[in-house]
Amino acid sequence: MSTAAVILIRIGLLAVFLGAWEFLPRTGIVNPMLLPPLSLVIDTLFDILGRGDFREAMLVTTAEVLVAFIIAVPLGGAIGVLAAEHAYFGAIFRPMLFYVFSIPKSIFLPMFILAFGIGFEQKVAYATFSTIFIVIMSASAAVESVKADYVLVAQSYGATRAQILRRIYIPSMMPILLETLRISMIFNFTGVMIAEMYASRTGVGHMIANWGENFMLPQLFAGVVVLAVAAMSFNELVRYMEARCSTWRS
Amino acid sequence: MQHMAQLSPGREQSQGAAVEVRGLGHIYAGRDGAVPALADIDLTVPAGRFVVIVGPSGCGKTSLLMMLAGLRTQTSGTILVDGRPIATPDPSRVGVVFQEASLYPWLTAVENVEFPLVLKNAPRDERRARAEAMLNLVGLSGFGGRYPHELSGGMKQRVSIARGLVQDPPVLLMDEPFAALDEQTRMTMGHELLRIWSQTSKTVVFITHSLTEAVYLADEVIVMSARPGRILDRVPIDLPRPRTYQMMATDVFGALRERVWHQIRDVP
Repeated sequence: MSTAAVILIRIGLLAVFLGAWEFLPRTGIVNPMLLPPLSLVIDTLFDILGRGDFREAMLVTTAEVLVAFIIAVPLGGAIGVLAAEHAYFGAIFRPMLFYVFSIPKSIFLPMFILAFGIGFEQKVAYATFSTIFIVIMSASAAVESVKADYVLVAQSYGATRAQILRRIYIPSMMPILLETLRISMIFNFTGVMIAEMYASRTGVGHMIANWGENFMLPQLFAGVVVLAVAAMSFNELVRYMEARCSTWRS
Repeated sequence: MQHMAQLSPGREQSQGAAVEVRGLGHIYAGRDGAVPALADIDLTVPAGRFVVIVGPSGCGKTSLLMMLAGLRTQTSGTILVDGRPIATPDPSRVGVVFQEASLYPWLTAVENVEFPLVLKNAPRDERRARAEAMLNLVGLSGFGGRYPHELSGGMKQRVSIARGLVQDPPVLLMDEPFAALDEQTRMTMGHELLRIWSQTSKTVVFITHSLTEAVYLADEVIVMSARPGRILDRVPIDLPRPRTYQMMATDVFGALRERVWHQIRDVP
């Protein structure tokens, strides 16, 4: 099938989806109280985007997501590289890291509330915690993906340790590292949302939870659209970078 | 050794031998204690010679090559490359071409070839020109912009050879470079290697499992035993050069191949 046909079909499916969202509630086939029509959600979207409290909530949520990301990714990356490269550190900590990785992080949320309250710090701490393990695992996998042959060739041409790191490790690991960025943002965003929805005084997650409890479905959907667009934009940005790296990935 | 004593050591080293191995032994620590890998290896490769090493799997051929490249340290004995010991890799004296295509997939062909020069911080224009010249030598001019996955197996090994030659080392070490290629490509690459060798007058130490390839390429075939690897025989190959494919059908070629085969087959 040609690329053009695939794109046309995709557009067609999107149109069907959006059309159904508009007309199913309007015709009463779906209860409009549970699924408000698209046009109403869009009106509400512009409405809430103009509201001061929603803008402030977006700023808070963005700050939480960014700070947690900036802590979790380098820290997890460093631990992951250490676990893969340092024999003793790896032997001691890897099993533990794997065990903890398998536990659903949300069950620790009450402890984070007890330790940090329900403010900014708690959101960042919990999101960092729920993100860092996937970063550690992926960074370890990235280091292990570097072929020994590549290093041997570089050594045979007299490469120093720093040169091997810069010229072999970084480019070899780049595809997995970018993938890690993308996936860790999904974990990180989810962590902030869960923490905000569970117990918070502000943030987009908190507002969405509130709207849900008060049966304000148009606002709820508008909030979901905002978050979905933000998440997809980041994802696509990293995917674009991945694609630029992938010229040599076979 | 008597004839060597008549020459001054300096002259012997600088003008005679590109590679000089004396009393080399290697023991590595295995699971059940010390395992002798190489024993009593004496090898003199005069400059400009093409020497092929054959032997059963695990006889330490690759270990020996790694030592000649300065990538591994022997337990005993001395190695002189271009007259000096080689404790660490020295790409100005030794170029290495590895098994399989050990090219970096994130670099283009020309970037792979200039990689050793990048490590030396050579100026961009200079290294690019040098790399292009090497690609030209191996018959790949115009392919510099391709990534390894866009090249065939034979072309990848041409790039590897170009990379091995880019710093113009007097010695080229090759560890089963054509083992992963199909028979036809392998023959072509062997022929191409001889052309490149005759144009550059390098000293080549070449490891292979293929006896036909060994006899076809070599001035001298070194036959090694199973572990611990020792030199069983040194078979001078007196076939005229340039070598041609037709020579493989001759009785002389068959007899040489048979002599090497006997040595290897007799190894338990």
